[in-house]
Formats: sequence, structure tokens, C-alpha cells
Amino acid sequence: MIKIRTVFRKKGRAKYISHLDLNRFMLRAFRRTGLPIWYTEGYNPHPYITFALALSLGYESDCEIMDFNLNSHVDFDEIVSKLNEVMPEGIEFISAYTPETKITEISHSEFEIKMFSENPKTLFDDFSAFIEQDSIIVQKKTKKGISEIDLKPSIQISDLICSENSVNFNIILPAGTQINYNPSLLIDSFKNMINYPVDLIKICRNSIICSDGEKFL
Amino acid sequence: MLKDKIEKHLLSVQKPSRYIGGECGSVIKDKSKIDVRFAFCFPDSYDIGMSHLGMKILYSLINERENYWCERVFAPWEDYENIMRENDIPLYALESLDPVNEFDFVGFTMQYELSYTNVLNMLDLAGIPVWAKDRGEDIAPLVVAGGPCVCNAEPLADFFDIIILGEGEEVNLEIMDLYLEYKKKGAKRSEFLKAVSQIEGAYVPSLYDVSYNQDGTINSVTSKHNAPAVVTKRYIKDMDSVYYPDNFVVPFTDIVHNRVSVEVLRGCIRGCRFCQAGFIYRPFREKSTDNICKQSTALCQNTGYDELSLCSLSTSDHSDINNMLSKLIDYTENEHVNLSLPSLRIDNFSEELLEKIKKVRKSGLTFAPEAGTQRLRDVINKNVTEEEIMNTCRIAFEGGYSTVKLYFMMGLPTETDEDIVGIAELAQKIVDMYYTIENRPKGRGVQVSISTATFVPKPFTPFQFEAQNTKAEIERKQKLLIDSIKTKKIKVSWHNSDVSLLEAVLAKGDRRLSDVIYTAWKKGCKFDSWSEYFKFDKWLEAFEECGISPSFYANRFREYDEVLPWDHINYFVSKDFLINEDKTARMAKTTPNCRQKCSACGVVKETGVRCFD
Repeated sequence: MIKIRTVFRKKGRAKYISHLDLNRFMLRAFRRTGLPIWYTEGYNPHPYITFALALSLGYESDCEIMDFNLNSHVDFDEIVSKLNEVMPEGIEFISAYTPETKITEISHSEFEIKMFSENPKTLFDDFSAFIEQDSIIVQKKTKKGISEIDLKPSIQISDLICSENSVNFNIILPAGTQINYNPSLLIDSFKNMINYPVDLIKICRNSIICSDGEKFL
Repeated sequence: MLKDKIEKHLLSVQKPSRYIGGECGSVIKDKSKIDVRFAFCFPDSYDIGMSHLGMKILYSLINERENYWCERVFAPWEDYENIMRENDIPLYALESLDPVNEFDFVGFTMQYELSYTNVLNMLDLAGIPVWAKDRGEDIAPLVVAGGPCVCNAEPLADFFDIIILGEGEEVNLEIMDLYLEYKKKGAKRSEFLKAVSQIEGAYVPSLYDVSYNQDGTINSVTSKHNAPAVVTKRYIKDMDSVYYPDNFVVPFTDIVHNRVSVEVLRGCIRGCRFCQAGFIYRPFREKSTDNICKQSTALCQNTGYDELSLCSLSTSDHSDINNMLSKLIDYTENEHVNLSLPSLRIDNFSEELLEKIKKVRKSGLTFAPEAGTQRLRDVINKNVTEEEIMNTCRIAFEGGYSTVKLYFMMGLPTETDEDIVGIAELAQKIVDMYYTIENRPKGRGVQVSISTATFVPKPFTPFQFEAQNTKAEIERKQKLLIDSIKTKKIKVSWHNSDVSLLEAVLAKGDRRLSDVIYTAWKKGCKFDSWSEYFKFDKWLEAFEECGISPSFYANRFREYDEVLPWDHINYFVSKDFLINEDKTARMAKTTPNCRQKCSACGVVKETGVRCFD
């Protein structure tokens, strides 16, 4: 049994595939690749695949991680090309390798966010003021109900700019098995505060980071 | 661009992947190289439509032709329809995301009567006039229809330009070829419609005039502009050489039937007198075992599905069933594929067969005795005996099953209270028998579920003449059944009888029904097959406003010499045969199945082909 980690992009039409559907899709995709995928040995044998982090419906990503096991050796390049042969528009595998870090070491992920508007200047000013508050209190649904949290100490925002039709920025938020903050927490709270609609919001994950600050591999 | 407009709203609807396409197996072509575009519309939600095998076959068939492009269209669910209407997003096809009104053909598959209002709603969303007469002289878009319901398309006749009768594998392409010829020479719609009516299987309703008698029955149906007086359905002679896809569009979201389906045979040898499918799909034709195995393997490999289902009206009637299953099970066990076998018959459910299906499925067993007494089963020609039912249940119980689901119909011709009580008695006998079995499943009680539907008389069946029971009569019978059940081990459920009434009216209706369908749709009726959307009061208002009595269509026995709305349509089975079968039914006499003896239903006369040597 050989452990394999793969990195893939999920963009365009593929962003409408939910996490559950993606899981089911990948199981079917493996059957089509002809790769010697390792099956679980229980009552209902199935390929064993794991995604490092779930990606919300509607988000794009340049760095999704999927782990699985093979029964026999296949070159990394061949794994990537065989998977890409059976992918739909929008999903593209970039690399395959032997995993170096455990999924539990993931602590943060970074997103690039674009908020489109007819009045980007107003949106920019309002958003700048919103994130410069001393605390950013948002409501988060948990298993125990709704709790209020302050996002401010947990997030890092950079590269905030105003383009001719959008406001763009990068944001790093806690991710992983312990704390997981979705960028929608920030954006929904902001949208509730302003009294005009935002045309369209594009969110793309561009990196996954470990607790030591290094990129997750 | 329409795509940008769609994407703006997609994240505010449920299951957005239904509205954006891009699934594996979907066919994308270069629009500039395409001569004819076909929008294949299923008048229900994506989840239902994507489960339909016929669409998969015809989609791939058209797309095999380099210069033709077939795309898929479904009815948007209400949340998305509202957004579409508010934001001027027209109905679009999932491959190109182009508006449906830009297509050459807009084709609907009519699988059940309760999807009729969805056709109007989809045309309206597409910006295409719902009435055929309002579509002007431009040759496109042509609104066409096929599927089992169009064997009596009269209630829909005024909405469609062309109705395609029977199996589409050949005739669809013939119609598209002729269209291309006419489009190239700049022909008008009316010119093309006259020409297409000469293709066998293509019924152009606007070329027929219907006149009525004083009593509301039909006087005559006459053709004009050289259209044939009687239009005959198309069928495929050889199931082994006919096209079958080697790939399906595989949806991302879970749908009703999310698996590989392989058709094993067409038609049915049984001749159950209530069953429309058993008559309209004649003649009986089988695919060879080799072909079935080949197609199953190819589809599993190309789609990546881990479930395979065999599809037919009665899979166990395949002459090579045991060998076929052995071969398939060898493949599926090796490849971690689950095999499912719907449509098995009670009477040839052998122990050998059970051994095979035990390997493949774990859920309960479902049987359809259809009627509670032997007399009534003989009336409907459901050639199963009580002994066979008991024997099958015994085999199933001994094989480890402890739940059985039984389907029955209520309101069948000649039905008496004794027949209703008979349903409860039969279920009780099955319960009692369970406890006589020594090696029954340990520690588990038996559960017999009875599901009853109201009988709906359908065109091209021996019971096409028969009246449906009134609602009051059905409700009385339902109560009688409940009162006859003495144990909690038997559970009863039934279908809404208002739905069955509407089905009967639409199935046996004539052209005057089009106003009712239009009015009901205008009043907000759509997705009628979804109980949460079914608005019977709106339908009743529509009947009232149009001056149409539903009971004239549903609850009236039609004399054998009455001109029926579908008499100018030929599905091979002759009216004389159907009359004889109805008379035989009323004597509670059975007719042997086609393999035992040919009953001269008309298929041999029409096709010149004998179903069995």
C-alpha cells in the first residue's frame, strides 16, 4: 500500500460541486482512471480517499488536497495525467507526491477575495473601516447553537486594493481540525452592515498553511 | 453573456450544479460547425430527468452525428424559476448555456400525464409561444414531442408542431435530416410540416381536423394536405444492431437513479390488460447476452459508476436470464459493482434466480399481484396464481427476507367488495405462512406492506373502453380494505385518487383538453406529480371555466363503436383485438402469454415479423 497526496485546482463550473458530491465524483473518477486504487477491506469495500479541508460550495481553489492509497507503484506524473484525463471542466490536478505532513498539522488557509460592485470606491471605504474596527464580532453557528466570536485577532488581511469594478484582498483564517473559520463569516457580517447589495463575490483558496508557518505538503 | 448572469444568482438556489452543466460525459461542440441543434427537454426537475434512460440514448445518438448537437434542458425548481423570471434569464440548455429559443428543435419527452403543465411552463420560460398556431412561419424553433404519453397526444396536440410516435432511434435523425434540407432552401414552417408528415412515425397534429357529435363524442378525424389518414408508430427491428450509448452524462449531484442502466429487452409477452407499456412497446425483442454484457462493461468503465441496473418491463422473461446473470455477476463481483434487478415476475422467480439475486441485493422484495382474488387476476390477465405468490414469498422468507411489499390496484373493471377483502386476506395468508417456516429469519417479525393505486384506464389497452371508479367509490373501497385488516404486521398505503382521476382524463382526453391544461397552467399548476405542488382545486376550476366535465373522460364506459381520440394513431395492436380482450376479461378468462401462443394482437400483421419462432 502506497500513500499518495495530490494537489488539484477547482475552478469555473466546478465550483458548484459540493464537497459531498466531489467525494462521490472522485470515487467514480478513480474507477475510470484504471489506477490500482486501494480498497478498504471491510464489509463494503470502497476506495479510501481523504480531503485535507472541505471547500465551501461556490468557492474556487488552487490548492485542494486529496490523499489516497495505491496497491502498486505508479509514477507521480502518470497519476496526475491519468486523473486529469477523467476530470470535468474546472478540475485540474497539479501534482502528486508522497505526503510529508499530517493533515492534523494544518492550521490556516489563505483566500483571495474579490467583491464586485458598481461603486467600488464606496465599497472599499466601507470595507476598510469595517476591518479597522478594534474587534470584528460575528455570529457563528456551532453544534451547540449560535455563538458570538471576535474574528479580529484570528485573521490577517493583506493586499487590500480597489480596482475599477471590485475590491480585492487576501485573508488568512484558521483552518483544520481545531478551529475552522470560513471567510463567509467576515463577508456576511460586512454585507449585513452595509445597506446596499454587492454584485458578486468571488472567493478562491490559494494556500494551506501548517502550524509552523510552512506550506502544507 | 448569459453565463455571467446565471452565475450571479446560482449560489442562492438549492443544488446549483443542476443548472450549470459541465458534468463528465456531457457533449460540448463548436457551435459554428453545427447544422442542427436539438434541445432535449425533460418536463420535470433535473433529478428526475437525468434518471431517464431514453434521454441518455437519444442524446448520445444525435451527438454521434458531427454536425448535429443535442443538449439537455430540465424544468428549473421553483426557487430558480423565480430568479430566472425576475432577472430575465430565459430557459437555457446545459451544454452551451444558450437560450432554448435559439435551437432548431425543442423536443419534449412525455413520460407521464402529470408533466403536461411543465411543458407549457418551460416553453414560456424559453420565450416560445405555447400554442403551435402562434409560432409564425419561421421554420425554427420546432416544438416536438415523443415518449409513451404521445400514443394519445390529443390533449397536447395544439402545443406541439410534430409528435414522434414510437421508438426514436431512426426517425429522429430522419426528421432532422429532412429539416436540414428544408432549412437550407429557406423553407417556411408550414412547408416543412407538410413534408415531415410523410415520414412514418411523424404526426403533425395541425394537419388533422376533428369534428364532434352532439353528445360530445368524436365524429371523425380527417387529414389534410396529403397527411396520412392513420399515423403508424416506429419501432426498431433488431435490438442487437440498434445504437446504444457507451457513455452517460454523470451528474455531480445525487439523482433518483444514479447508476448504469442497460436495457435487456423491449416489449412484454404478458399482456396484462391494464398495462399500457405491455401493449405500446410491442413487439417483444431481446438483446443478446453477449451484447448486454458488453454494454454493461463499457458503461461501467466509462462512467465509473459502481451500480448497474438491468432495465426492461420484465427482466426475468429474457430467454437467457440465468446465463446472463451468471456472466454479469462474475463481472460485477470482480469490479466491486452492485447489480440491481428491478421488474422480476412472481411466477418465474425460481430458487436459482433467488440465489443469484441474493448475492446482489439486500433490500426488501416487491411483488405486484395487482388484484386480491384469482377471479380478478384472471380479469386483468395477470397470470399469477395464489400458489405462485405464496411460493415466491416462501422462497424469499427462507432466503432470509422478512419484508415483502405488494402492489395492488383498486377500481379494476368488474371489481366487487369480495376482491377488496381478498387483498387483506392474501396479505394475512402471507403473514401466517411466515410463522410456519422453520428456518425463518431469527428474531424478526414479518412485515407485509400493501400499496394500492387507483386503476387508470389507458389508451391502447383492452381496458381503454373501461370507466374509472369515482372518488366516492374508491374512498369506500379504501375504508373497506382498512377495516378488513386485523394485524399491525400488514401496512396499507395508497396514491391520491384525485391524481388518478386527472391521469385518466389526460390519458384518454381529446383536443378540447388543451384549453383545460392551458387554463390550469395559467392558474399556477406545474410539477403536478409532486404532491406539494399538486393543486386539484385549480384543476377543477380550469375544467369548470372551460366547460369540460372530467367524468365524461374518466368515469364513462366507451362503447366499442365510439370513435376514440387516438383511433387515427396506429401502435400495431388492433382495436378489434382490444375489444376482444375486453370481452374476454369480462368473462374472467385469461389469454396465454405471447411465448405460449400468439394471440394475433396485430403486431405480426403490421410488421410481418413473428415475435417467436
